[in-house]
Amino acid sequence: MNTRAIANEFAKMRHLRIGLVTAVMILAVLGLSLYTVVSSPTFSPEAPSAWNGLLAGMSLGIPLIFPLLLAVLASRQTDIEHQGNGWLLQATSGLTPGGVCRAKFTALGLVVAASTIGTSLLVLVTGKLLVGIIPPVSFAHWAGFTGCMLVVNLVVLAGHILVSAKVDNQLVALGIGILGTILAVFSQGLPDVVAHLTPWGYYALAMAADYQGTGFVALPLPYPSAAALAVVAVVLFTIITDRFDHQEA
Amino acid sequence: MGALTAEWIKLKRGLAWPVVVLLPIVLVLAGAATQLARGGQPENGWHTVWVQSVVFYGLFPLAIGVAILGSLVWRAEHRGSNWNALMSGPTSSLRIVAAKATVVAGLTSIMQIILLAAVIAIGKFAFGLPGVLPGQYFAIIGLLVLATIPVAAAQSALSMVLRSFAAPIAVALVAAGISLAILMIEVPGAIASPYGLATRTTQLGTGMFADTGTITAGDITAILAAAVLVSIVLVAVTTAILERRDTRS
Repeated sequence: MNTRAIANEFAKMRHLRIGLVTAVMILAVLGLSLYTVVSSPTFSPEAPSAWNGLLAGMSLGIPLIFPLLLAVLASRQTDIEHQGNGWLLQATSGLTPGGVCRAKFTALGLVVAASTIGTSLLVLVTGKLLVGIIPPVSFAHWAGFTGCMLVVNLVVLAGHILVSAKVDNQLVALGIGILGTILAVFSQGLPDVVAHLTPWGYYALAMAADYQGTGFVALPLPYPSAAALAVVAVVLFTIITDRFDHQEA
Repeated sequence: MGALTAEWIKLKRGLAWPVVVLLPIVLVLAGAATQLARGGQPENGWHTVWVQSVVFYGLFPLAIGVAILGSLVWRAEHRGSNWNALMSGPTSSLRIVAAKATVVAGLTSIMQIILLAAVIAIGKFAFGLPGVLPGQYFAIIGLLVLATIPVAAAQSALSMVLRSFAAPIAVALVAAGISLAILMIEVPGAIASPYGLATRTTQLGTGMFADTGTITAGDITAILAAAVLVSIVLVAVTTAILERRDTRS
């Protein structure tokens, strides 16, 4: 782990408005979660399933907001190397492109992890204090959902860093971001097998709750699928960044 | 005309076309895929096909598509020393701004026509719907072409000011979200926002979100008036901003 390279990535973030984009992600998901419970005619803060309303809201909000803004985060953090020819500069200082990508993933990954967990906690606190939900929260289900979302977000982020690094024109990265958003949203209506085929489909698989019939019900979380996705992503990211290391900058 | 011809030459070799063609087709396909996965026919025929593709398209993918086109059209000017060439050339700011906005609006209008063609193709070939798409939808697409001119002008302005490819796209997502929220809480004058105007037009006659289900002459007049006024204001403001810009090192 090259800590100086990671610290350097954090320094680069200062002028890239990474903080602003992250704040937008968190607030937009919070807004959508609250909107889901406010717009539901049957929602009551006293109902035993009240927390499922907020979980359903997050299950809708995260796939809608995160894929595109993760693409924006990765694109901004990586595009500066194309613009300032940072690949060559860092390669001649001993940090090859694969290493730069790994440093970018570690730095942005920490930001994304903080924003995913932060979103989850903020919705939880808002549910307690603002919505006034009375029944106890199922912490295991809540934490499981947050963990699944964290895995999918990190996988999508890693993919975007690689695409933004490989293809100079950021149109490709952002185009994939939009396609990902569409896949994440529409995979909820597709069979599970199809949802397993792309990283964005896992957003739909990891829905923690949904509105069915008369109210919100909790749904089982796909832990084996999320774990398999994480393993495949780690292997691919390692192989691809290793290949980057052996290319001429 | 000179400025427009120059823009056209830049476009021919650019990557705008895949966005213009693919985005509407992918959205219509995604809308239809969930229906096909359920195995049923669209309940209300053409109306259902329209609602499941065009309404979602208008929520935010339309704004993001226009944002990408804006970023692509301005991308060349932000590279190398092209900005200084633009600043030191004899073309007036108004002509540059108008030519860029026209190109983005032109590409956006082609995107709407492809959307219409995709809806017809899906209705006919995937669902085998009887008859032809009712005339009112052709009229709505015609109106949408005009109603998206302000979004094109706004995104062109953002991409002029922001050198980053991804930043205007993030702004479009946020602006589309806020505009939708304002539309839904029925704030008077919500269509003064270019994003709100485009979203509102895609919902015409559907009874979804901010729509009542019936199209009135008042709705159409308001949309047309807003399209003209907002476009003029945006081009004037953007020209004033460009007038005060200088070369940069």
